[in-house]
Amino acid sequence: MAERITRREALGVTFLTLAAGPVRIQVALDGTLTAFTAKVELGQGARTELIMAVAEEMRVPVAQVRLVMGDTALCPDDGGTWGSLTTPQAVPLMRQAAADQRGGAITPPSQWKILGTEVADVRGPDIVTGRQVYPSDHRMGGMLHARVVRSPYYRAKLLKAGDVAGVRVIRDGDLLALVSEDPVAVKRAAEQIKCEWEPVPFPVAPSDPQALAAWFKANSTPPVENPNTRYPPLVRRGDAQKTIHSEAGKNASSYWLPYIAHVPMEPRAAVAVWKDGAVEIRGGCQAPFPVRAEVAKALEVPESHVRIIASGPGGGFGGKQRGEIEIEAARIARLAGAPVKLQWSREEEFTCAYHRPAGLVEIESTLVNGKLDTWVHRNYNAGAPGLPTPYDTPNVSCEFHRTPTPVRQGSYRSLAAVSNIFARESHIDEWASQLKMDPFEFRLRNIGDARLRAVLEKLRNVRGGLACTIEKEARIALRAQVSAQGREIKVQRLVYVGDYGAAINPRNLRKQIQGALVQGLGGALFEEVIFAGEEQKTRLLSSYRVPRFSDTPQIDVELIDRRDVEPAGAGEAAITLVAPAIANALFFLTGHRLRNLPLQPPG
Amino acid sequence: MAVITLNVNGAMRSADVHPGTTLLEFLHDYLEVAGAKCGCEEGTCGACTVHLEGKAIRSCMVTAASCKGKRITTIEGLAAGDRLHAVQKAFLAVEAFQCGFCTPGMIMEAAALIAEGKPLTAARVRERMEGHICRCGEYNSIVKAVLQAAQELKRG
Repeated sequence: MAERITRREALGVTFLTLAAGPVRIQVALDGTLTAFTAKVELGQGARTELIMAVAEEMRVPVAQVRLVMGDTALCPDDGGTWGSLTTPQAVPLMRQAAADQRGGAITPPSQWKILGTEVADVRGPDIVTGRQVYPSDHRMGGMLHARVVRSPYYRAKLLKAGDVAGVRVIRDGDLLALVSEDPVAVKRAAEQIKCEWEPVPFPVAPSDPQALAAWFKANSTPPVENPNTRYPPLVRRGDAQKTIHSEAGKNASSYWLPYIAHVPMEPRAAVAVWKDGAVEIRGGCQAPFPVRAEVAKALEVPESHVRIIASGPGGGFGGKQRGEIEIEAARIARLAGAPVKLQWSREEEFTCAYHRPAGLVEIESTLVNGKLDTWVHRNYNAGAPGLPTPYDTPNVSCEFHRTPTPVRQGSYRSLAAVSNIFARESHIDEWASQLKMDPFEFRLRNIGDARLRAVLEKLRNVRGGLACTIEKEARIALRAQVSAQGREIKVQRLVYVGDYGAAINPRNLRKQIQGALVQGLGGALFEEVIFAGEEQKTRLLSSYRVPRFSDTPQIDVELIDRRDVEPAGAGEAAITLVAPAIANALFFLTGHRLRNLPLQPPG
Repeated sequence: MAVITLNVNGAMRSADVHPGTTLLEFLHDYLEVAGAKCGCEEGTCGACTVHLEGKAIRSCMVTAASCKGKRITTIEGLAAGDRLHAVQKAFLAVEAFQCGFCTPGMIMEAAALIAEGKPLTAARVRERMEGHICRCGEYNSIVKAVLQAAQELKRG
C-alpha cells in the first residue's frame, strides 16, 4: 500500500486518498473488497455486473463487494462507458484481476456460480425509496448555483450582455452565466435577462433532407482502409466497384434518417470546485477520463489538476460522453471564486447537447443465381458502426464517407448501426419482394453464420416484418407485427431472439433488450429534431415525442444462452432492428416501401 | 424572498424562497428532499410527481405557496419506516427501472392510483400512467409491478 501511494505521489496526482491507486481491486483488513472502474452506471446494469464479476472470481457473496465507479482520481482508465464495451472488455479485466487476487485461473462461463444468474440490481433499494443520488441532486457547502444564459439561436455571438437584478453576472467570452446562492433566483433571472446576439447561419438547412443529403455528398471525403480501428470506415472483399458497374439487374436505393435527440430523463448537472489551481467536478458524464482531458485542455491546466467524479446519471444513451457541462461549470466556478453547481434545463438538454447524426445511406447490389453477389453500401455522415454485412457476399464495399455537419452531433445508442442496419435490412427485403420470395428464406439463403441462422430459425413460425444482424458480436433477430390506419402506425407486438454468448445476468440482458427496442420505436416512428432559420425549433419535451406506455407493444424476448461463448455487450444492438423490422412489416401490409426515418406512410 | 412552511412527509418544513417557487423547487432545491425529480418543468414527464392530500400531482406545476396547509407526501415519505409500500416492493421485485430517475414519480402515481380502490387492468394502468416517461423503456415491467402491488394490497 505504501509503495502504491508513493508511486501516485511521484506521478503528481493531486487527489490522493488512502484507498487510491490505479488498481482494480483492494482488500481491506476486514475482508471487504473494493473494486474500481472508470465505467459509469447509466441504468444499463454495469455496477451490478462488475460486482458479480468480482464476487464470482473471489468466491464471495455479492454483498461483500464495493465498487467505486467513474472517479478519475481513484479508478483505472478502463475506457468510456460506450460501445457496449463494459461486458466484453471491463468485465473480463475485472474477472482477471479478481482471479489474480484469489490466485487462481479465470472461471469459464460453463462453471459460473454468480455470473450467469439473475442478481438483483444493487441500486434497487435506493431507487425505490428516492435515496439514490443523481448528478442534479449533488451539493456541497458554500456552493453557488449557476445557470448559463443561452441565445435563442442555435449558434450565436454574444454582442451585448444584459443586466439583471439580484444575481451575479459572469462573462467568459461568449459564455454568460448567472450565479447566486439561491437556486431559483438564478433560474428565473436566466429566463428574464435580455442580451443582444448575432446569429450564425447554418451552412445548410438541417431539416431539409434533400438539401442536407446533397450537401453531405458534395462535402464528403471517401474512406481510407483502416482495419485496425473499432469501426473500420471501409470494409472490402472481392471487387465490388467493378461488378456493380458491369452486372445487369442492379438494385439501388437510398435511405435517410434525421437528427434526433437522446432525451435522457435527467437534464445534466455538474458541481465544480477549485482548490490550489486544481478542479474537482462531480457530474454524470459517461466517459470520465476523456472528459478530464477535455476539461484540462479547455481550462488550460494539466490533466493531473482535473478530477472527474461521474456518478450514475438519469440516463445517457450515448448523449453524455463529452464534457460540455463540466467545462462550463469549471469556467464559471473559476471566475466565481466559489464552488458552483451548474444545472441545465430540459431546453438546454435539447438545444446545447449534441444530436444523433442525420445520415444518408446508398446501397447498390446485385444477385447471381438468387444469391447476393455484390454489395456497395455508402454511408454519408451517420458513421461506420454496423457497416460489416452478415450476408455472404463475394464482392463488398461498405463505406463511411465523413462529412462536415451543420449541427452538433455525436454518439447515440449504437450510433450509426441504426442507419446502416435500417438500410441493409430494408434493402434485403426489397430483394426478397422482387424475387417474390419469403424474406425469411431469402435471408437464410444468404447467411452462413451458424449462430445467426439458429437465431433466425426461432422466428420461422412467427408473423411479422423481419430484421436480423450481427452487431457487437451478438446474433439478433426481430419480428415486428404492426397495424396501420392512414398515417397512424401501431406496433402490436415485437418478438426478439438474441444470442449474446454467455448471458452474464439474463434478467438484466432482457431488460437492456426491451429498453433498446422501446427506444428504437421513437427513432423509427416519430423522433426528429426540427430546425428553421437560425434556430432549433425543438426545445421542449412537449414538442418532441418519445415512446410512452401507449406506444409500447407486447415484447417477447428469447435468449440463446451459450455458455461456450464469452459474453457480448448488449446495451445497444437491439435498437438497430426496430426501424427495419417495422418498415418491412409496413411494406408487407401496405405495399409502400418507406426508406426515410421516421417512417411515415403516405397519407 | 419569503419564508414558506409546508407539511412534508408529516413534518413542518420551512425555507426562505424566491417568489413563485414551485413545489418541486421547494422540495428539491431548498429542502433537499430530492426524491421528486426535475425532468421537464412543464408537466410532460411525470418525474416530479408527489402526493398532495393523497392525490398524485406534478410538483413542477404548482407553486409552493398554494400548498400551504396541505399534506405533501414524497417518495421519501411513502414507506412506513423500514416497511416499504407495496408499490415500492413490487418495483423492486419486478425490477421495473433502469436508471431509476423516473421511478419516484412512477411509484407515487401508481400508489395514488391503487389507493383509489378501483379494479385495475393493464389497460387502465397504461392509461393512467401515460403522462409518465421512462426513457429506459421499462413500461411493460412498470405495468406488471403496479398490477402486482394492487394484488398484494387487495390480499392485505
